[in-house]
Amino acid sequence: MSKRRGIGRVTLALAIVLVLVIAGFSYALFSFSQQAPSPTIVQTQTIVTTISQIPTTIVQTVTTPQITTMVQTVVTTPGPQVKNPNTLVIATIGDVESLDPAWAYDTASAEAIFNVYEPLIFFKIDPSLPAEKRGLTGEFEPRLATEWVWDDPRTVRFKIRENVVFHCGDTLTPEDVEYSFERAMVQDRDGGPVWLLLEPLLGVSSTRDDEGNIAVSFDDIDKAVEVDGQWVVFHLAHEFPPTAFLQIIAQSWGSIVSKEWAIEQGDWPGTAETWQQYNNPETPPLQNKMCGTGPFKLESWEPGVQYVLVRNDNYWRPPAKLERVIVKVVDEWTTRKFMLLSGDADMVVVPRQFVPELEGTACEGLTSTCPTGIRFVKDLPSLSVDAFFFTLDISTDSEYIGSGQLDGNGIPPNFFEDPDLRKAFAYAFDYETYIKDAWLGEAIRPCSPIVQGLAFFDPQAKCYTFNLDLAREHFQKAWNGQVWEKGFQLVLLYNTGNVARQTAAEIIKKNVESINPKFKIEVRNVDWPVFLRSMIQRKLPIFFIGWLADYPDPHNFYQPFFHSSGTFAQWQGYSNPQVDELIETAAKSTDPAERQRIYRQLDSIYYEEAISIPIDQPSGRHYERDWVQGWHYNPIYPGTYFYTIWKGY
Amino acid sequence: MVMPYLSSRKFEPRLREIRFTVKRLRSSPLSLAGITIIAAFAIIAVLAPVLAPPADPSRPFNIPRDGFSSEPRPPSREHIFGTTEGQYDIYYGVIWGSRTAFVIGIVVVGASLLLGISAGSISGYYGGRIDNIIMRITDIVFAFPGLILAVAFAVALGRSMESVMLAITLVSWPTYARILRGDILQVKQETYVEASKTLGGSDYWIITRHILPNAIYPLFIVATLDIGSIVLLAAALSFLGIGVPLGYADWGQLINLARNWVVGPPHDPLKYWYTWAIPGAFILLFVLGWNLLGDAFRDILDPKIRRR
Amino acid sequence: MSGDLRSYIIRRLLMVIPVLFGVSILIFSVVQLFNPIERAALFIRSEREAANVEGIIRKYGLDQPIHIQYFTWLSEVLRGNLGWSKVVSKPVLDALVTFLPATAELTLYAAPITILLGIYLGKKAAVHKDKAIDHATRTLAIIGWSMPTFWLAIMLLAIFYGYFGGLFPPDRLSVEASIYVQSGKFIRYTGINTIDALLNGQLWIFVDALRHLVLPTLTLVVVQVALLMRVMRSSMLEALGQGYVVAARAKGLDLKTVIDKHAGRNAMIPVATLSGLLVSGMLSGVVITETVFNYKGVGWWFVRAASQLDIPSVLGFSIFAAVLFVITNLVVDLLYAYIDPRIRLT
Repeated sequence: MSKRRGIGRVTLALAIVLVLVIAGFSYALFSFSQQAPSPTIVQTQTIVTTISQIPTTIVQTVTTPQITTMVQTVVTTPGPQVKNPNTLVIATIGDVESLDPAWAYDTASAEAIFNVYEPLIFFKIDPSLPAEKRGLTGEFEPRLATEWVWDDPRTVRFKIRENVVFHCGDTLTPEDVEYSFERAMVQDRDGGPVWLLLEPLLGVSSTRDDEGNIAVSFDDIDKAVEVDGQWVVFHLAHEFPPTAFLQIIAQSWGSIVSKEWAIEQGDWPGTAETWQQYNNPETPPLQNKMCGTGPFKLESWEPGVQYVLVRNDNYWRPPAKLERVIVKVVDEWTTRKFMLLSGDADMVVVPRQFVPELEGTACEGLTSTCPTGIRFVKDLPSLSVDAFFFTLDISTDSEYIGSGQLDGNGIPPNFFEDPDLRKAFAYAFDYETYIKDAWLGEAIRPCSPIVQGLAFFDPQAKCYTFNLDLAREHFQKAWNGQVWEKGFQLVLLYNTGNVARQTAAEIIKKNVESINPKFKIEVRNVDWPVFLRSMIQRKLPIFFIGWLADYPDPHNFYQPFFHSSGTFAQWQGYSNPQVDELIETAAKSTDPAERQRIYRQLDSIYYEEAISIPIDQPSGRHYERDWVQGWHYNPIYPGTYFYTIWKGY
Repeated sequence: MVMPYLSSRKFEPRLREIRFTVKRLRSSPLSLAGITIIAAFAIIAVLAPVLAPPADPSRPFNIPRDGFSSEPRPPSREHIFGTTEGQYDIYYGVIWGSRTAFVIGIVVVGASLLLGISAGSISGYYGGRIDNIIMRITDIVFAFPGLILAVAFAVALGRSMESVMLAITLVSWPTYARILRGDILQVKQETYVEASKTLGGSDYWIITRHILPNAIYPLFIVATLDIGSIVLLAAALSFLGIGVPLGYADWGQLINLARNWVVGPPHDPLKYWYTWAIPGAFILLFVLGWNLLGDAFRDILDPKIRRR
Repeated sequence: MSGDLRSYIIRRLLMVIPVLFGVSILIFSVVQLFNPIERAALFIRSEREAANVEGIIRKYGLDQPIHIQYFTWLSEVLRGNLGWSKVVSKPVLDALVTFLPATAELTLYAAPITILLGIYLGKKAAVHKDKAIDHATRTLAIIGWSMPTFWLAIMLLAIFYGYFGGLFPPDRLSVEASIYVQSGKFIRYTGINTIDALLNGQLWIFVDALRHLVLPTLTLVVVQVALLMRVMRSSMLEALGQGYVVAARAKGLDLKTVIDKHAGRNAMIPVATLSGLLVSGMLSGVVITETVFNYKGVGWWFVRAASQLDIPSVLGFSIFAAVLFVITNLVVDLLYAYIDPRIRLT
């Protein structure tokens, strides 16, 4: 008996669950069909019912044609229905790593930070210009500072705005500003953004030496930024181009945090004694909480999933028009696309290679309304450049250089020390095809690391062009003709998923192999960790990498590309004292004419040396629903500045 | 005296059982369908060099590219199944992909059987501490869902066809070890094993002559029929970006390349159908073939329901 | 009696310890295959951060010998600190707590439907063995099983979200619902949206959450139901051949009664095992479904961690998976004893 009851109970329980689940789903389905999937249908129904209430006589004589016209107009106009009218929803791909302004060095984190925290000054927004040009990179407007004065080329003072209240209730004081910059320098994590502040303020690129021991004194940090009444004074370690300094502090790492609040969170208490304990921490002290002064407050952050910002109603300027901003991480492109098409997302990230999938769906121009409700703008200038780099002394144990000899089955480690070889590769690259295929034509071919949009950009800079005859000539000259005679074999790596780098590698392979059948190149994909390791250990004969501006100044590009201590030049094993000196002089010069002269000189040396070959400066695209208004672009922004945006028609 | 030839024909029980199995298989429409599908794929795989001659015979598994742009191109005379993202030729990919599928399936099944049989027979026969250790190891593997563990192994082993196969092998052997161990525990109780033991048979002799033959055939068939699932697992690894190198002829890779082209622009949603439908159909049919066969086989091989 | 049961349960739970040691040592050994720079790549997501690799290696002790790394980790774990999950920028334990509810919610719906549907179809097929209905259900189930999950998932998304104008959306909640859930008015008891919605008395959120669950649930059911169905079918066939069933039918009991009262129960044992595996498998990760439907749970977290070599996350997840595995096995065994009192728990 008991047996039978037992099984009965299990079945019953399972049956109940099943019934519940089925009931739930069918209710969901049912209620959805009740909810009316598209706004136009609702409209049609209401109109029809109102009209049907009109006395019959009139309906018969007059209204029949009216119904059709009215219904038609409602159907054809996009209609005032805006999905989630007070909330901006963005579907993106990059994860926020940290909300700590001194820690974050990726664009996704900086996007959240620069909408919640504020710097002293910000890049000027000129409303008279079209949206895609509205953000300026070389002019500034006040934020938490009301004015600023250069006392001399090494001293700049900022007057701090009064009556600004942090989201957590504290009032902004000059001490908060001093603390914010000093805490950043105190923290200075490995691989973080603080070197940007350290270079002008302390004259070093790290607070630690190569062995990881503290190499600066607290005094240096303390004296670099000082309070003077309502003013905060910055003492630069050496002369520094003033615009470049302002460009640095106008970004997320120049954000002002509340001192009192930060100390409550367990951050550095502002004292000299313990500062070393707060240097280079393992995890960021202000990781997941924010207390800024900006137009939005952090409501929640679920790392890897989304973050939500709400309007700050006590903002010192008029409050933002949007009530809320939700930034979701959606990895799958198809999913993101549907979110945009359905209006569940107002803006999504569209990888370049999938642009054809939205062709004919989105209308060009940010002022248009579109029957599909989606519009876009293209050719947004970026401040980034991709290039390929030759390694001059490849590690002898590299697995990518075949035999390691010039015997046709490999290359010697110093293969690329011969400039003819570098030039041969430069001439063998089909720049036009590359930009057409990898970027769908939407990229600029740069000639030097000073890309378009930077100060001292030279539109006439000399450039290598695709020319197989010249390439052949240089190959024949290289290594006294030995390369041409014996041939070579090498491997080109790119990191998996980077379509542009893959295309570039295959183009090199195709063209170089076509010049001489003894030239053999293999293209291989590896994951980012292996790619990074091989680059750092100098195992790659040629590597592809890109650079994104920290601040829009040529120094930020020539330093990594060309200076012997620069990130890329180091991996290449390149060192040229003359170049180093020129770069350093230009970086410390406050005289634009002098800088102009030096950078022209560097451009021509860079061309002659052919140590790396820039291949593209991508232009961006921006997609949005046509009910999004007020978006604007600035190439130095890490993302979208939400304050100016609202939704509606 | 009965002639030996006749006796083996007529009375050899194992042979009789096999013939019964074949008879049962032939009478089941599902299994027939499965066999047909698998046979068709086997033919494609064998004839791959004829159906799609490789440009570089030393690297036949590299799918040829026609240009570098991302947008897939529809079927044409040059590319009868069109090209997928990155202009890889779909026809070439699916044809050589059949070979890849068989290679993955056979190598993985072979390797995991080898591992599983060694571990399972040692564990089942000796029992005690060895058994305990081996069973704890299988526990560790079982504690993870197959895909997740395969991801971990594949990441650790690097990006290549070999590491994909090794990863899947490392995930699948414990199942076979467990099945074999269970069977051995059962067989061990049988009188003939006891008898052999008392007569002084060595461990090796007992395992190979008495225990394995009786426990191993069902295991072989179970394992073979897992080929379908193994190919699916390899495809899933490709989807997670941990599969074979880019451009290798593998169905999972082809579907992965199509993942962002499943739906075209709203006015033409089926614009890129060939990118996902063709490799999808190949993988679906292949796995379906094995699974249909497997389903039928399980009925026939299960001694408890075999004769019903 | 109950004391026996308790000590049995405790003994079974203690089995998790050797498994955990095995798993963690295994993972640490595998990690040694990687160069310290490769492991540092976790902290260097772009070339901008690559300037000082040595510093990062030093800071996180990536070049220390394996046993020192292992004991550092172990002593932290014994103090209750599972470490920092870099891929989701929060402590590992927090990450588990955040991502588990999503997966649990999916399992809550997908597992019972799969199991019940599998049992039902399996029974049906067994009773009508070799008839059209048997072939039809089996073929359909096997087709579902043979589909690559992501292929099916993207198709479903294209049809039910793309084509039908957002009928069943991805994600876990719509914007309105998630704003409400985030607001202070909504108490998150479990993190499982449908349950929380009912506990808060917000039917519309319940419905909203269900709509988002339809596609991932459907995907899982379609792909997994064949396995259960097959096991149910063969064990049912076996049961139907048993002497007592034959006898019962010979006595003239009608087929339905025989199946429900006699055969069905015995057929349940293998099904219970498989169901246990199914539930623990779903709970510890349905990566692909989670990725396509942007339904972020533990599986998604783990694959991200594994592919970026985020070792503390991988270890933390392994601990979770091992504990889950041991508990599920225990529950299945207890269920056996319940279904069949002849089975002794020892």
